[in-house]
Amino acid sequence: MFEASAPLSERRQVARDMFVLGFDAPAVAAAAKAGQFVNLGLQPGPLLRRPFSVYRAGGGRVEIVLRAVGEGTSQLLSLREGDLVSVLGPLGTGFRFDPAWRSVALVSGGLGLAPMLLAARDARAAGLSVHWVHGARTAWDLGSEWDGEEATWATDDGSRGFQGSAVAAVEEEFGAVLACGPNPMLAAVAERWPDAQVAVETYMGCGTGVCLGCAVPLTAGGYDRACREGPVYRAADVDWPALPSHLYYTAVPVASPSRPSPATGGGEVPV
Amino acid sequence: MTADLSVDLGHLRLRGPVIAASGTFGYGTEVPLLERRTLAAVVSKGIFLRPRPGTPPPRIVETPSGMLNAIGLQGPGAEALLRDYAPLWSAWDFPVLVNINGETVEEYGELTAQLDGVPGVGGFEVNISCPNVEQGGMYFGNDPRAAADVTRAVRRRTKLPVWVKLTPNVGDIAEVARAVEDAGADALCAVNTFLGMSIDLHSFRPRLSFRTGGLSGPAIRPLALHLAHQVARNVQVPVIGIGGIAGPEDALEFLVAGCAAVQVGTATFADPRAIAGVHDGIAAYLESKGWTSLKELPRYLPLD
Ligand SMILES: Cc1cc2nc3c(=O)[nH]c(=O)nc-3n(C[C@H](O)[C@H](O)[C@H](O)COP(=O)(O)OP(=O)(O)OC[C@H]3O[C@@H](n4cnc5c(N)ncnc54)[C@H](O)[C@@H]3O)c2cc1C
Ligand SMILES: Cc1cc2nc3c(=O)[nH]c(=O)nc-3n(C[C@H](O)[C@H](O)[C@H](O)COP(=O)(O)O)c2cc1C
Ligand code: FES
Repeated sequence: MFEASAPLSERRQVARDMFVLGFDAPAVAAAAKAGQFVNLGLQPGPLLRRPFSVYRAGGGRVEIVLRAVGEGTSQLLSLREGDLVSVLGPLGTGFRFDPAWRSVALVSGGLGLAPMLLAARDARAAGLSVHWVHGARTAWDLGSEWDGEEATWATDDGSRGFQGSAVAAVEEEFGAVLACGPNPMLAAVAERWPDAQVAVETYMGCGTGVCLGCAVPLTAGGYDRACREGPVYRAADVDWPALPSHLYYTAVPVASPSRPSPATGGGEVPV
Repeated sequence: MTADLSVDLGHLRLRGPVIAASGTFGYGTEVPLLERRTLAAVVSKGIFLRPRPGTPPPRIVETPSGMLNAIGLQGPGAEALLRDYAPLWSAWDFPVLVNINGETVEEYGELTAQLDGVPGVGGFEVNISCPNVEQGGMYFGNDPRAAADVTRAVRRRTKLPVWVKLTPNVGDIAEVARAVEDAGADALCAVNTFLGMSIDLHSFRPRLSFRTGGLSGPAIRPLALHLAHQVARNVQVPVIGIGGIAGPEDALEFLVAGCAAVQVGTATFADPRAIAGVHDGIAAYLESKGWTSLKELPRYLPLD
């Protein structure tokens, strides 16, 4: 694990409201594996760091993908090139890959696309064939970056690809399923593929294993730490009804004078 | 020349004034980027005699300049603590004190007896102030007599240092402080978290599953400073100041206000090097004043 005061060196839009930010943090970038995250500290900014999946890593740069949902994310999106952010990472236990699977389906919803580019990279490195199935609300909310051959798109409104959820859009059988998205979507993944590996979200205090704030309820009883044993779990090991879904930002926001409203992006149609 | 930062807490000499606070440092075994030389002691995550699962999530929520937590003292119990952590602690060059908890006075005593004398266990911090448990915890800390009973139960079973951690959620903290001092505490820790609450306007429910939580971080610093000062004015034993300390100036305020040492908690979450920053910053401050020892720091401690 490393901590670096890292300058913002990249910013691009990849969907409506969704942006990629890149930070120069060579040690973190070199060590990051699919499904791991970085915990970003802003000074000045909120008290606690904010966790983000590593989206891309290489060339000395760590990239994340995000949308403004509150104070921390809004502040990140208003950074200018060269502004410094404390990058702590890579953290957590990421996805596992086994060449015996032969093929793997990457199933993501919304911002759940975040760990999938690295998952594709690491899966190919393990000799697996990769099929990505990604869903979002509309064509404008899908990400625009994918470097693989095979991808299936799903949208709630049918504006692009399959109409319905990413989970429903998976038709074939694969050697393994890796998934990331809102917790209710992951619960659906667990129903269909109990052995899938899923990356969950929880509130985090420290991100490093010392506060026990990131409790993930387990079907076997008790809790463990999303930041340490997780954030990737075997789907059937998580007690889904007991895992809160914090993702209110997928619903209608409550008006709040102290919270900036989510940035409205340019609305480019993804290619 | 580097200033002498060592402090004496009764018979226990620490190499510096900065201690890792319970619940914010795990068992000291997994802390990233730790600069050991700056760490005077570690207080382990609170433990009960038996394993406890803790509270359901969400367990934490950020609030202005602070955070609420309701972890519910999740822990592996005494047996696993002795098996998995004490052997590691015994190799370290600073003491680890175990933060002990119980639902009854007897449980505190029994837990102390089990841990006492085991290599690696450097002392006890008696938690009579956890707001996040249904039984015991803060309720002992609210009542001077119950607080003294718990302290005596622990004191009777060990010769190791016994610190008692006070709750701020009490009418007269000085009364509780005097009671536990009389009952044999070697030092008093002031303070634990302040009881608080936060409501989610999407669900119209508390943000924490436990409904309430303990407030920590810079938001509580002036409140905690005042309470630590009040305790220091009312007892002879050393006082360890806790609450929202993130930098050297914060710690120096507690030291000037009469504390012998400080603990750093929440600040470690944002900055894993916070303890080193506080320690080195105090050293630099003393040197800038031309002082060779922390003992030269002026104190503001008018007695009642
Ligand atoms: C392991 C992990 C990986 C993550 N990866 C990404 C990612 O790649 N891209 C991305 O955009 N976001 C990711 N998140 C979620 C991200 O951390 C939160 O959106 C962010 O912390 C919100 O901060 P804020 O200050 O903007 O919002 P706040 O003002 O703190 O909250 C705004 C809203 O966000 C919700 N929220 C706050 N923290 C979290 C959280 N940790 N998880 C879920 N919801 C939260 C709140 O309920 C609230 O509705 C990840 C979270 C975890 C735990
Ligand atoms: C996540 C978390 C867990 C805590 N767990 C314990 C505990 O187990 N026992 C205890 O005595 N205090 C516990 N505390 C209280 C801290 O030790 C400290 O008294 C308090 O947080 C105030 O200091 P701070 O503002 O520096 O964090 C916990 C605090 C936090 C934030
Ligand atoms: S976020 Fe602190 S233990 Fe996981």
